[in-house]
Amino acid sequence: MKRIFVASAALTAILWTAPAFAAEKLVISSWGGSWKELIEQTVVKKFKADTGADVEFVTGGTIDRLNKAKLAKGNPESDITFTTSHVGWLYANDGLFETLDMAKIPNAKSLVEQAKISPYHLGSWAYVYTIVYRPDLVPADIKFDSWADLWKPELKGKLSAPDFDTSHLVAVAAKLEGADAANWEKGNAKLKALKPNFKAYYANDAASQQLMQNGEAPVQVMLSMNAYYIASQGIKVNVAIPKEGAVLGIDTVGIMKGSKHSDLAYKFINALLDPDVQKEIATVKKGSPVVTNAKLDPDVAKLPGIFTTPEQWAKETLVIDHKLRAEKTGEWRKWFTENVIN
Amino acid sequence: MDNSAFPLSARSRRRPFFRLFTIPAVLVAIVFTIAMAAILQYSVRAQIPGSLDVGGFTLANFSAMLRPLYARVFADTVWLCLLTAVISLVLGYPLAYALVRSSNVAVKSFILIATVTPLFLGEVVRTYSWIVVLGNTGFVNSVLIKLGIIVQPLQLLFTVTGVTIALVHVTLPVVVIMLAAAISHIDPDYERAAESLGAGPLRIFFTVTLPLSGPGIVAGLTTAFAWTFSAFATPQLVGGGKVNMVSNLVYQLGFANFNFPFAAALCVAGLLLTYLSIFLMRLLLRPMEKVGLH
Repeated sequence: MKRIFVASAALTAILWTAPAFAAEKLVISSWGGSWKELIEQTVVKKFKADTGADVEFVTGGTIDRLNKAKLAKGNPESDITFTTSHVGWLYANDGLFETLDMAKIPNAKSLVEQAKISPYHLGSWAYVYTIVYRPDLVPADIKFDSWADLWKPELKGKLSAPDFDTSHLVAVAAKLEGADAANWEKGNAKLKALKPNFKAYYANDAASQQLMQNGEAPVQVMLSMNAYYIASQGIKVNVAIPKEGAVLGIDTVGIMKGSKHSDLAYKFINALLDPDVQKEIATVKKGSPVVTNAKLDPDVAKLPGIFTTPEQWAKETLVIDHKLRAEKTGEWRKWFTENVIN
Repeated sequence: MDNSAFPLSARSRRRPFFRLFTIPAVLVAIVFTIAMAAILQYSVRAQIPGSLDVGGFTLANFSAMLRPLYARVFADTVWLCLLTAVISLVLGYPLAYALVRSSNVAVKSFILIATVTPLFLGEVVRTYSWIVVLGNTGFVNSVLIKLGIIVQPLQLLFTVTGVTIALVHVTLPVVVIMLAAAISHIDPDYERAAESLGAGPLRIFFTVTLPLSGPGIVAGLTTAFAWTFSAFATPQLVGGGKVNMVSNLVYQLGFANFNFPFAAALCVAGLLLTYLSIFLMRLLLRPMEKVGLH
């Protein structure tokens, strides 16, 4: 009888001290595949340990999910949404994101300035779109110290870039002509001159990786995290950071307006910005941390495209204003299609 | 049969589940009609930069299609569809003929497995395998280089040739199945009669078998054409952005530019062009179809 009483008391104590969120479930909207795995392995692990709450994923492409969110406005399918910084502005413009209460995200105090995208969405990790090349298939004297090297005639028929987002090259061409993305027309002639060097345009990460792996396009404007993935598969690739800076990309997170688990959502974002979680993200997928207090392993910290000091953030990145990018992406893409691709 | 001989109630008694079984088809038709209406509505609306919401009514999306870039993509699409349909027919006819007429079970089985298996693979899987085969270091170039036929690899990926090869692989199984069905309906007595009158195998084929398989040829050509018109993954991956079809433009405009109104207008124009092309093809091929309706 005494044993039963002790066991009951112990069970009651465990239940009493268990996190209050144990029965709740947070729905996360994100990309599928390795992105979902990354979130599961890092943030979700910490979030579950902190709250005891469960999570469920809704996965899909960036625009697919935006469309779904628009259709479900007011009664969102997910509580939290991961998306790119500029598409995040489309969520915000359409009133789909909640205005964030920063007091509920203590870890956001360490957020770098570049990751404070808007009052509605914050950076979750960073990467760069930069020049990635196969040294065995590119003339040895080209080191890609500058974006201007992409225009070298020796690279004729060797280059590839994303066709779904041309903002990187549009901003780079403008920069090389002494302008910025807001005055992108100044780089138009420069960009047209790059046409002979293109071998193909890639439509997704998989196509980009394949073009690099099989050597069809050994020079690419490529996502740094993809480059490190290819390197992990035994392909020798170099990630260059040109002197003008690599084009910064930030994947962001926001809380859906109308979420019924807003408190949990804030805890999730706080877990995402935890220095140890940020360190994990950098270790697993070579995404740059967006907080200043993440202590990375030296082998990871030294990789191009991973920024750990304010100087690196300032000097090695080329930032396209995210709101401008959301508004201009269509126009840039249309111009690029009409004048460079075709 | 003259239906007027049976009053409606009598027909209903003869087909007691007719109305019940029609319900799913009607529901599907309603959903498709709503979807098409939504696309039509989007196609005449203006884009608002930086938002997925659409603006007021406009016909600008349709007039923009007259610009050389878009007109060229439409022309390229029609050309690729024609090329794919004709090549599928030329390659598919002998296969279908052998499939139906061969008395060797092993040959029949081999042809059936070889032609139908690709249907069970997704379009993306098939397309990726073509990337491996056609690439600079792929199967075709490696073999040709090893045989000493070429020194530098042939550029097959990101070209019309590469895209056409991959598209034919997608449509060939369907064309073979349609042709085989048509050929199997030809009464062998016609061919025997021609033979008894002294016609040789080639003459029998060109004057009896081929004309009588007309309906299958017309059906195969038009199906291959329409199917190819909506091809997306193949031109996207094998074309590498250098060979674009209408569906790729729709994707780029909608999902990269967020310009859903223009993408919808392209869908509407593409659909109309498909109908027009098929109508013209059927008009041209009508004599062949009539001969086949024996």
